[in-house]
Amino acid sequence: MKLPAVDYEAPDTVAEAVALLAEYQDEASVLAGGQSLIPLLALRLARPAVLIDINGLTELSGVSATDGFVAIGAMTREYVAGESTVLADAVPLLAAALPLIGHEAIRNRGTIGGSLAHADPAAELPAVATALDAEFVVRGSAGERVIPAAEWFEGYLTTSRRPDELLAEVRFPAARPGTGVSFQEVARRHGDFAIVGLAASLTLADGVISDARLAFAGVADVPVRAALAEDLLAGQRPSAELFAAAADLATASIDPPGDLHGSPEYRKKIAATLVRRGLEAAADNASEGQ
Amino acid sequence: MADISLTVNGVPRSGSAEPRKTLADFLRDDLDLTGTHIGCEHGVCGACTVIVDGRTVRSCLMLAIQASGSEVTTVEGLGSDGELGGLQQAMWDSHGFQCGFCTPGFLVQATAFLSAHPDAGEQQIREALSGNICRCTGYQSIIDGVLLAAERGRQG
Amino acid sequence: MTGIVAERYTGSSIKRSEDPRILTGAGRYVDDVKLPGMLHAAFVRSPMAHAKVLRVDVSAAQALPGVVAVFTGADLEAMTIPGPDPLAAMMGGGGPMPEYTLLGTDKVRFVGDPVAVVVAESRYLAEDGCDLVEVEYEDLPPVANAAVALDPDSPPLFENLGNNIVGPNKRTEFGDVAGTFAGADRVAEFRIDVHRHQNVPMEGRGCVASPDRESGIMTVHAATQSVHVTRLGVAMRLGIEPEKVRVLAGDIGGSFGLKIGASREELAVAAAARSLGRPVKWVEDRSENLIASGQAREESFDVRAAVSDHGDLLGLDVTMVIDTGSYPVMGTMVPSIMEAMLPGPYKLVALGFESTAVATNKASYVAYRGPWASETFVRERVLDLLARDLGLDPLEIRLRNVAPRTDPPLTMVTGRPLVGVTTKESLERVAQLVDIPAFRRRQADERARGRYLGIGLATFIEAAPGPREPGGPSGPMGLESMRLRLDEDGIVVLFTGQMPHGQSHQTTLAQIAADEFGVPFEQVRVVVGDSDVVPFGLTGGSRSATMTGGVALHGARQLRVKVLDLASHLMEASAQDLLLSDGKIWVRGDPASAIEVSEVARRVAAGEFAGSDVDADLEVVASFDGGEGGWSGGSHCAIVEVDAETGIVTVERYVVAEDCGALINPAVVEGQIRGGVAQGIGAVLLERSAYDEYGNCQSGTFMDYLLPTACDVPRIEIEHLETVPLDADVNFRGVGEGGMIVAPPTIVSAVEDALSPFGVRIYEQHLPPARILELIATGRNAADEQADH
Repeated sequence: MKLPAVDYEAPDTVAEAVALLAEYQDEASVLAGGQSLIPLLALRLARPAVLIDINGLTELSGVSATDGFVAIGAMTREYVAGESTVLADAVPLLAAALPLIGHEAIRNRGTIGGSLAHADPAAELPAVATALDAEFVVRGSAGERVIPAAEWFEGYLTTSRRPDELLAEVRFPAARPGTGVSFQEVARRHGDFAIVGLAASLTLADGVISDARLAFAGVADVPVRAALAEDLLAGQRPSAELFAAAADLATASIDPPGDLHGSPEYRKKIAATLVRRGLEAAADNASEGQ
Repeated sequence: MADISLTVNGVPRSGSAEPRKTLADFLRDDLDLTGTHIGCEHGVCGACTVIVDGRTVRSCLMLAIQASGSEVTTVEGLGSDGELGGLQQAMWDSHGFQCGFCTPGFLVQATAFLSAHPDAGEQQIREALSGNICRCTGYQSIIDGVLLAAERGRQG
Repeated sequence: MTGIVAERYTGSSIKRSEDPRILTGAGRYVDDVKLPGMLHAAFVRSPMAHAKVLRVDVSAAQALPGVVAVFTGADLEAMTIPGPDPLAAMMGGGGPMPEYTLLGTDKVRFVGDPVAVVVAESRYLAEDGCDLVEVEYEDLPPVANAAVALDPDSPPLFENLGNNIVGPNKRTEFGDVAGTFAGADRVAEFRIDVHRHQNVPMEGRGCVASPDRESGIMTVHAATQSVHVTRLGVAMRLGIEPEKVRVLAGDIGGSFGLKIGASREELAVAAAARSLGRPVKWVEDRSENLIASGQAREESFDVRAAVSDHGDLLGLDVTMVIDTGSYPVMGTMVPSIMEAMLPGPYKLVALGFESTAVATNKASYVAYRGPWASETFVRERVLDLLARDLGLDPLEIRLRNVAPRTDPPLTMVTGRPLVGVTTKESLERVAQLVDIPAFRRRQADERARGRYLGIGLATFIEAAPGPREPGGPSGPMGLESMRLRLDEDGIVVLFTGQMPHGQSHQTTLAQIAADEFGVPFEQVRVVVGDSDVVPFGLTGGSRSATMTGGVALHGARQLRVKVLDLASHLMEASAQDLLLSDGKIWVRGDPASAIEVSEVARRVAAGEFAGSDVDADLEVVASFDGGEGGWSGGSHCAIVEVDAETGIVTVERYVVAEDCGALINPAVVEGQIRGGVAQGIGAVLLERSAYDEYGNCQSGTFMDYLLPTACDVPRIEIEHLETVPLDADVNFRGVGEGGMIVAPPTIVSAVEDALSPFGVRIYEQHLPPARILELIATGRNAADEQADH
């Protein structure tokens, strides 16, 4: 399981990186944290002609809060994001999901941008980004584009990033007061990918749900937003019956894959369980906040 | 081939390697530091764990060239002046390991964890080490060794 | 016996002498071996489960800079002598002999089957070379599982066999099977399945083969459970005299039965090295280990049980099918051990047993820690299922059926005497430790809150090494030998054929020798891993505690007698008046007379006994037949919680009451048990060697073959029972395999108990979360149907 022969570039600036991508297009793979890409290379499942190592692009690291948003540089290490108090305060759903990602050594190298650009539908961050309508800022030879999460994830390990574009930043809306969150997952072992995961966020105002966000990991080849269930929840008061109805609605139209870790029927069943548990936990957290 | 210069266990080292060579292979083959072991080469078993610039890293998931300019600590660097470090001694006293193949990864991961969390309890330690696989011990003796090292560390 | 033999070390958890090197990264595993001019090998492996090989084109690979040679299956046939796998040859289960080549030539028989080996300047380049080898295959219908293999029309994996039945297919009866079943109050029938899973040591297989053209000696640095078996395997395959093969083994990263003898890959590497006249290294990567190294435990059982209404298990009639995968290693020998062990420590009076071994397009069935373990799984499952049917408690039904300890001992209906077996005591003790009534109250409270806790119990015995058989040694594989020597520096050196790969022999054997001979622990050195200097031996079968512990004990005594005899001459005192302790010899009552044992050795070496008729040879060769031998065993109890909405199982508590006779080193014993239990937890909850219906392996990485982590294995509480000494001197019994044998039924039993409100009955060993939910749904459906009637 040794990596295949590959050329290597280590640009010092974003402009250089973008120029390299323009040159190599889809013959290049961007190397960020490497926690997903290097195993693919070791298994010789991916054979890019060139690796563009962006670990030198320090300008792409950092967490900053702007007007109603938190901007996270794509090269921000997952552990750095996990230690950020700005993030914990303003994007609690992301903060809740981060400790579930793999193990410490993975989070020491893995990056926020890398995970979202890799777009594994069973990973935690894509579900969070989908739930919160995050925005993806890419830079290419034609300039900068901002892509909403609903348009970012196109398919299994596939995003709408063009081959000549570099993911530079991801922006998450700041949570409004009265928001409670929960990231639930069923995984075979501590630190494993979710068989099914759920990113849940509820905002309560005077005990009524003013905003509900639900997105699944692991039920399709992209994260899935449970929009119908969100609509059901809006304007209602939290209750077990409401959450059960939301769970049924959220899972009625999903058609999950089957594999060694679970059949489609199993995934559908636990997806419903996670909705009930996630909404209950989010509602509890929202109430505590008030 | 790329030139690679880094500090390993406090000593400046250098070599040259293809960009595709992992840090794990570079340490083992080029620097003759065979204490770091390769268990899976896809980042799951933790046997290859080393410390790079103060953070634990799976050296099979890092290219050697990426570590150029960094400070790396491997299992060979955990003791000092030919003496066993506190964790190593505690592991010896606790019969921590059997075949020893997973040992370097555990020692490095636990060393880093204890520096950051000297008062950790058993459940926390188990979670922190859940990314390192051992096939021989059933983990209890390893956990006991870490708990013993933590206790001795508190007693100073 | 002269003098005081102080038991300072035996029975204590002495710190391991292996650890200083292990803890500092100074262990020497096979991948750490670097030799001048060494090359690296990688294998071209079949992506097809079953196919003819039409064409192999190595030209592009050979042309790659850095590739030194490529050998195809056909090349290797010309370079080697055909023959069976060394372990299969040693332990052969009988049955028809399949014909096949070392690497694939005319066909391939499983995904991962090697067809060529590329030798290059680095492993990276060797793998690049493999990518360039072009192989043209012609698909054959896959024999993807036992059901297909049993069909006489399934395409035979081995043309010379004509079908896929590879094991002797015979029925044996013990006791009056027909009469017992006819006279029983009831006959229950079950189908029980054990799934395929595998050893997965943290270090894979590998070797460095290093030929010396001048001397003709082929040195093989190996990871093996026996340097001598590997030596013989290499010698036979390469067609050279065994004396021309030297096998060296350093530290070994676990094996659990996988690394015995020499695999096809290792033999190919040795042949390649010889041809090139340079050292060649091959270390398998994790994909190779999971896909190609071998797998185990895939057996299915049709069981009939003859029972009384009160729960007496009178007889079992078992028909077994074992899926031995493709190339024969040891699958065909497993049924006969299972047959012998099926009655267990119980009073069964009748056993019928029939087995069929089939070949399929999967990796070979290899030895895995307690290869016969499914007999315990079947028997303990049957007892639990019968208990549920009869409204009995699982402890109650076992105590009812356990064979009492009598003198002379009862024999299993299959013949072996249950001498010294403490099953009743271990069952009672583990029940006490757990306080089952208190658990039942807690279980009821939690059920009312919608939480499902369960408790499971199981017991086992294993022949470690087994009771003395009339007319033969107790241990399998015959006598155990050891060479012991007193060196001039006063070190007592033990040369043993044991090949530790985690068992801590270098510590435990030194403990025994130090005590018996009379030197400090630090003054004993245990030499392993060099076929030029160690006697024949093999680590496996849970035999080393008795066989090697015993030969160390007796050998050290023999050496002590010799040394005291020589000292008596040097000190001009009668040997009876001499004491030897702590490395010193002195005349009783005269401590000032003390000399170091090293002085005796130095003076012998200096020639003080030359010309005399005193036997001044400070080396003894001892052998031991196991003495009275004996059984090891124990009872395990687990408490689990099942999340009935997700199917996730948590093992909350695990308790063991075990009996392995006298303990050499309690920490070592406990480590072996805990490691085995962890593998059992893994087998039930996480591990499966999975194939689809086309023979594609679906568990080729650690993302899919899941091993238990520190969050999956609880603290395992272990109590050691008072032993029943059988032998005057050697009462250590083996403990290596027991944990893995009995943990699976213990965990399954606990899960079944947790899910009993849903009417769940479990007839299988692998319970991933999805399966748990299916069982609950089926149980609920069955209960609903019952309610409707």
